[in-house]
Amino acid sequence: MDVLFVQALINGLLLGGVYAAYSAGFSLIFGVMGVLNLAHGELVMLGAFIAYGLFELVHLDPYLSIPIAAVSLFLGGYAIQKFIINRVIEQPHLMSYILTFGLHLILANTAVKLWTHDFRTITTSYSGMNAAFWGLNIPYARLITFFLAVAVVIFLWLFLNRSETGRAIRATAQDKYAARLMGVNVREIYALTFGLGAAVTGMAGASLSPFTIIFPEMGLGYTVTAFCVVVLGGMGYMQGALYGGFALGVVQSLAAAYLSAGISVAVTFLLLFIMLVLRPTGLSGKGIAG
Amino acid sequence: MMVNRRTVLIVLVVFSLLAATASWSAAAEPFRVGVAVSLTGAFGKEGTMVQDAYILWMETVNARGGINGHPVELTFYDDKSDPATSAKLIDRLVIGDKVDLLLGGFGSSLVFAASAAAERHGYPLISGAASSNRLFERGFKYYFSTLGKATEEVRGCVEMFTAVTPKPKTAAIIGADILFTSLACEGYREYAGRHGIEVIHYELFPMAFQEYNSLLHKVKGKDPDLLLVGSHLLVAMRVMKALKEIDYSPKAVAFSYGPTVPRFAEELKGDAEFVIAASEWAPNLPFEGAVFGSAADFNRTFSDRFQRRPDFVEAAAVGGALAQQLAIERLGLKPPLSGADRAAIRDKLVSDTFPTFYGVIDFAPDGANVAQPPVAVQIQDGALKTVYPLEYAESEIRYPFQAWKQR
Repeated sequence: MDVLFVQALINGLLLGGVYAAYSAGFSLIFGVMGVLNLAHGELVMLGAFIAYGLFELVHLDPYLSIPIAAVSLFLGGYAIQKFIINRVIEQPHLMSYILTFGLHLILANTAVKLWTHDFRTITTSYSGMNAAFWGLNIPYARLITFFLAVAVVIFLWLFLNRSETGRAIRATAQDKYAARLMGVNVREIYALTFGLGAAVTGMAGASLSPFTIIFPEMGLGYTVTAFCVVVLGGMGYMQGALYGGFALGVVQSLAAAYLSAGISVAVTFLLLFIMLVLRPTGLSGKGIAG
Repeated sequence: MMVNRRTVLIVLVVFSLLAATASWSAAAEPFRVGVAVSLTGAFGKEGTMVQDAYILWMETVNARGGINGHPVELTFYDDKSDPATSAKLIDRLVIGDKVDLLLGGFGSSLVFAASAAAERHGYPLISGAASSNRLFERGFKYYFSTLGKATEEVRGCVEMFTAVTPKPKTAAIIGADILFTSLACEGYREYAGRHGIEVIHYELFPMAFQEYNSLLHKVKGKDPDLLLVGSHLLVAMRVMKALKEIDYSPKAVAFSYGPTVPRFAEELKGDAEFVIAASEWAPNLPFEGAVFGSAADFNRTFSDRFQRRPDFVEAAAVGGALAQQLAIERLGLKPPLSGADRAAIRDKLVSDTFPTFYGVIDFAPDGANVAQPPVAVQIQDGALKTVYPLEYAESEIRYPFQAWKQR
């Protein structure tokens, strides 16, 4: 195996970690409520802007702002679900698409008004630092996001499987009428779920702020990628975000290294197409089909 | 009785106000100038810069008594970085708003569509922020650009390496696969060939591309002396981030656009050092003309107004507005302008030359400005310095690019 191949594989896994980090929340919200959150990328954007703002204003290290982003986005997400999305949650899914698309427009355009179109990035004394050995490079910032993604998925899995609230969330996802009969406050569970999904997405946004370019309209691309990742990994299945993220990251990276950069983008949609035709339940086979 | 008197008073005041406005507007009917430009979307940042430039032009002209005694009034519409919208907005400005004149927006793909609409209506459209060669190859009569052609714009970024030792022998060219940046890449290849620099890697990528690290690892493996990038601001910033992450330092890195925008150096800080960029104007060039004075004067006026220095694209946008203004002044036209007036302006733009702070603007019949020098700038100690052509250089070229781990 040559160095470029190993390097492309590492790059792919690291990129996959980034994808998984910001797709886990999308998967959670979709899995529990069937809401395809089209404002998902804006949650990433808000997390990144929180990190950027704190870095510029009080010189807070971007990694220390991860918990702050998590709490702020949890509260924001909780409120969005409780006061806005819950109003249409019993309606056909199309309503929630329209609503979250509206949210996407409002959030992105408000951000443009507040923060202008400037492209921003966090440059710290350690930004871009990387481990170099055997002719390979592993950028630390991406490695941290990679571990964050794994930790988030493990946390969500434990939370959903081991905690009382988690069980209520799963029960609601499986059958909201039965859950309601068992005394579960379904609307409260929805609000908690959206809050949780937003929180982990905000954390991802903050963690990728040191190595990406931050701007108010960055969100849409993240929403599209998160959708692909979740379809690949299996819709509504938590670990699927990891599988889907890694698969997409590695394929894109190998395509960029061995074929061409142009094909690397096309490959995403090709993969999505093949997946939907041949294996609609995702790589894991545990997703929801149709 | 009281009420009646008050009513009469109010009516009188209103009438006198109306009369005042009417007489004022009769005395100085404005030149109404429409602009379709990207204020949101992929080029939202660059588009708002062009908007700033036109606003400065309008304010300066109006403070000096307008054009032939008539003030300028600008109307901006946001094309959302979408070419089809841009063309529709030109129709709206011409047919709906009945503007007297137009000015160009930002970006070749958008101006390409907008200028086709303007041509149909017989409105001169001067852009200062679009330079793809194909804009000039359509046989249009009414399209002009103060920037040189995209392939020419990057000339300085390649020619400058004839002035460094040891002379670089190989180059990799990468760029975004959209109109301007892909042509910039062709320009790099053309001039690299002329100066004996071998191109050992050439690759274009879509704007949606994400995996810069793997692409640049591939380039790093081939070890070219130069990395020449066809870019706008966003791509330029992403490439810099990736270069540092993969610890790749070629002998020089040059961009077709991006680093001249102040944000580039502000955000990337020390990581922006040594970066080279194409430019077509710099405040230290020996240019001078009406309204704004010298290049240095323009730099000062702009900096006072916006608390930042102007980018060359902003200078080019003002240059274009200024050329159109000078043509109108020489023709002695007054608003509202007729179709014949606009045809006369078009002919004047082709036949005359216009000395300005931006340079002597000289439009060829295809609409390209033929007189701009191939300027290259470099970020040195956080500031942009003109390093090429050598006769205008403010500072020596810093070469080679300092390795990341030695910074």
